[in-house]
Amino acid sequence: MKTSTRRGIAFAVAAVSITALAGCSGGGGGAAPSTEGESIELTAFDYYTDEPSHSTMGDRLSDCAAEVNATIDHQSVPYPQYNPKVLQMVSTKTMPDLLMINNPDLPQFAATGALRDLEKLDVDTDQFLESVLEVGKYEDKLYGLAPNVNSLVLFYNKTMLAEAGVEVPTTWEELGAAAAALTQGDRYGFTYSASTGTEGTWTFIPFLWSNGGSQLELDAPEAVEALTFYTDLALDGYVSKSVVNWSQADAKDQFASGKAAMMINGPWQIPALNDTEGLDWGSATIPVPEAGDTPIAPLGGELWTVPASDADREARSASVVACLNSEDKQLETALTNNTVPSNKAAAEELVAQQPEMASIVETVTTAYPLTGDSGLQWNDVNMALSAAIQAVISGQADAQTALEAAQAEVQG
Amino acid sequence: METTARVTPRTVIGIVLAIFLLFPVYWMVNSSLQGNENLLETTWFPFDIDLRGYQLAIESQLPHLVTSLIVSLGAVIVCLAIAAPAAYGLSRVNIPIPGIGLFVIALVITQMIPGIVIANGLFPIYNSVGLVNTYPGLILADASHGIPFCILLIRAFMVNIPSSLVEAARIDGANEFRVFTSIVLPISRNSLATAAVFAFLFAWSDFLFALTLTSTGDVVPITLSMYQFVGAHTQSWAALMATATLASIPAAFLLIVAQKYIASGVTGGAVK
Amino acid sequence: MDADVAVASGATGAGGDSDTKAAAHAASGRAVRRRQQLATLLFIAPAIVFVAIFFAVPVVNNIIMSFQEFTTATFYTGEAPWVGLQNYIDVVLDPLFARLTWNTGIFTFASLTVTFFIGLGLALFFDKTFRLSGLLRSLLLLPWLLPLVISAAVWRRMMDEGSGIINQILRAIGLNGVPWLTSPDVALASVVIVNIWIGIPFVMVILYGGLQEIPREFYEAAALDGATGWRAFWFITWPLLRPVVVVVLTLGFIYTIRALDIVLALTGGGPANATQTYATEAYQLSFIGFDFGHGAALSNILIIVSLVVAGLQLRVGRRPNDLAG
Repeated sequence: MKTSTRRGIAFAVAAVSITALAGCSGGGGGAAPSTEGESIELTAFDYYTDEPSHSTMGDRLSDCAAEVNATIDHQSVPYPQYNPKVLQMVSTKTMPDLLMINNPDLPQFAATGALRDLEKLDVDTDQFLESVLEVGKYEDKLYGLAPNVNSLVLFYNKTMLAEAGVEVPTTWEELGAAAAALTQGDRYGFTYSASTGTEGTWTFIPFLWSNGGSQLELDAPEAVEALTFYTDLALDGYVSKSVVNWSQADAKDQFASGKAAMMINGPWQIPALNDTEGLDWGSATIPVPEAGDTPIAPLGGELWTVPASDADREARSASVVACLNSEDKQLETALTNNTVPSNKAAAEELVAQQPEMASIVETVTTAYPLTGDSGLQWNDVNMALSAAIQAVISGQADAQTALEAAQAEVQG
Repeated sequence: METTARVTPRTVIGIVLAIFLLFPVYWMVNSSLQGNENLLETTWFPFDIDLRGYQLAIESQLPHLVTSLIVSLGAVIVCLAIAAPAAYGLSRVNIPIPGIGLFVIALVITQMIPGIVIANGLFPIYNSVGLVNTYPGLILADASHGIPFCILLIRAFMVNIPSSLVEAARIDGANEFRVFTSIVLPISRNSLATAAVFAFLFAWSDFLFALTLTSTGDVVPITLSMYQFVGAHTQSWAALMATATLASIPAAFLLIVAQKYIASGVTGGAVK
Repeated sequence: MDADVAVASGATGAGGDSDTKAAAHAASGRAVRRRQQLATLLFIAPAIVFVAIFFAVPVVNNIIMSFQEFTTATFYTGEAPWVGLQNYIDVVLDPLFARLTWNTGIFTFASLTVTFFIGLGLALFFDKTFRLSGLLRSLLLLPWLLPLVISAAVWRRMMDEGSGIINQILRAIGLNGVPWLTSPDVALASVVIVNIWIGIPFVMVILYGGLQEIPREFYEAAALDGATGWRAFWFITWPLLRPVVVVVLTLGFIYTIRALDIVLALTGGGPANATQTYATEAYQLSFIGFDFGHGAALSNILIIVSLVVAGLQLRVGRRPNDLAG
């Protein structure tokens, strides 16, 4: 932190004048004189507060900015407070030049009109996976590009599975049997996050979608089936009922300490798993309802967007975004954050360098953006579905009733 | 102030109460000494001491600790400077000012407003006068949290000051201001010290204003900077707990000092 | 009652003298009054300015927002269609509202009552200084000193059903573990417990300060008349402590009903809305659901409820101020 404090002090004057500049040019590049040709400082705003993500992201931003004769002032804010902070900046027209947005929130921010259409800023999109491009689109315009995406996979403890003579499950039936066989003593066979909010909800989505369900039809038979299977594992005692209070990090802690033999979680947990002594883990795509079905998991990831400012700043910011999404930068990000590059070639290179990422890369190719079917209604779906999952696990309602209530809540 | 040199039953009970009520704090210190990233691995006593967390905390958090101290102490000074006279003015029920009762009600109402509403409302104002990312800006904002509370608190103490005392001083020729500084303030030592404690605590634990009213790394108190250890990808519980433990030490020390000023025997002599 | 008589005569004794003198200065009485009023206003003025700047604007904005259809787009364009009371109606008619009211009521009432009695008990306990009392008193402030993210993390670990230390202790003495944060029936109680833990220092410190204000001579005089222990408390301590108690209960109520961060950090409002209160739901409506109009309406309903209850508390707590002369 000492370095950034010194940098911060050195850039104090620059920051104030840039704030003034941003305030002037909020209306669309009128008053401020053109800065073309000069070296300028671009502000980049994200929620990577923790090390080493914060520094590695800062370095990548600076490298990309250097290519367009600019420097970067990199600020991070914790995620729970991120959206209110961005909204403040939107309303006072003090937006940064480069803004990170978490993919479920993109529709809301794009709807404000404060973000620029990247294709109008000459950003080349040919090399991207189509599914990844969808993540950054709102009403068919591309607002953000995600250098890396992530999703969910099944992690399992190789030692425990071998001891119990259980194969890695690929269907729901196998998953149920494996969870039952692996629940011994005070160890649960399986765990996942079902806490209030996005972490719990999106963990369930692969089960919903792989069964043919949709986020906007929560009371349909496919959804009820999926929720019944998901929660029965807890009601039958193979999954701890405490999952309603566990974040994905908590679920990882349980798995890492050997209190659960399998878990649904994301690849960013891999460094912590690798650091755990004596843990021999493996990963696989999430089991599907019937053999031969395609697993459809939700795509997560952070998008870099360009808020509206003046033409020169926007152009330079757009090229920084494009640079962050270049093949080698994507690979770099993936290697440090354990996520998946959205560029096909980079993704293949990743698997070559880190074979344990194979299942997640496979998952990403058939994945679908998290808010792909709910769009602006995602927030309502999120809270309603989260409450439904918790209601069933805690024994307050059965899946049918809970989902009917959730659907009513979303539609009402 | 009586002090007893012997250990009385009260001391023993006090220690037991403290152990019981402070158990979570013990857990925090315990976790910080074990260097675990995974809180599930923490044993109930730090048998294996691993100071990794403290290393990380000391490397990066000390400047922010200083920032927190400066902001908090500044907030206390501003808060008392504004609240004490106002509390005095509002406590003088024998000098009616039309409508001043409304102000007291307004003060109570200010405490009902969610912090985030205030922070969001302040940001545009701060932005236009350039107070964002400054020490004075954050000090004033943190003081604002404490001022209504301190006024109400100090006033509750001051209504018990006999007006005969004030009258006597005025008759001796002192002007209003002298009366305030020479008579009222010394008598109000207890309430001022209590108010100072809370003003300090409000400012010290403030996170919302620090988050809202800063956009660069210039003025970052420790409540904000500790998020370096918990974020989008990793959670360094050991470092986080170590930071919290380290941060508590100077604050606890200041509170111990302040509490010495809250004692009996201040008003008794004056009334006589 | 003898203690009261002693107190009253002491006060009016001094007042009697100044009455005679004030009568002699009747002619310049009004001028003196005017000057005193001006001086008093000057003392209060900086606070009025401060409160106006820091509080008035946000409050007015919040009120306006509650009558509008305020979306994320509004932040950028500034446009928000006026919808009158619709937001308020939507919020109150929502099936969740009954649950929210119940949760908020239980949370606030239970937290405040228990915190008050424990805080009062501790303040009385520390009233007589003993060895280490200063240190212990300061240490007991630690719950309020710790950052909420830390307290919440520690309590969540302690309350974990399987591996938390609380259940481990319970099981060691032969009881069953309790699903503190995972059962909808128990979660609210758990959140109340943590809130009490955080709130005790607040009550204790203020009441302790109030206790220290009471001149020891009153107790000595009362003891001479045979009033000690419970009688001393009822006839000396409680009446003199009342102004402070009113402040503690009124502000304590306001702080408790709007408690947000601790509930969110412990349970996020779950499981299944078991710990969702007006404050947490208003926050989630606005800042997670981006539904600002409804969020503002709910937070204003919260303020109205606070106003009504606080008003009642202040009315009940008011009494003639016999010691102010």
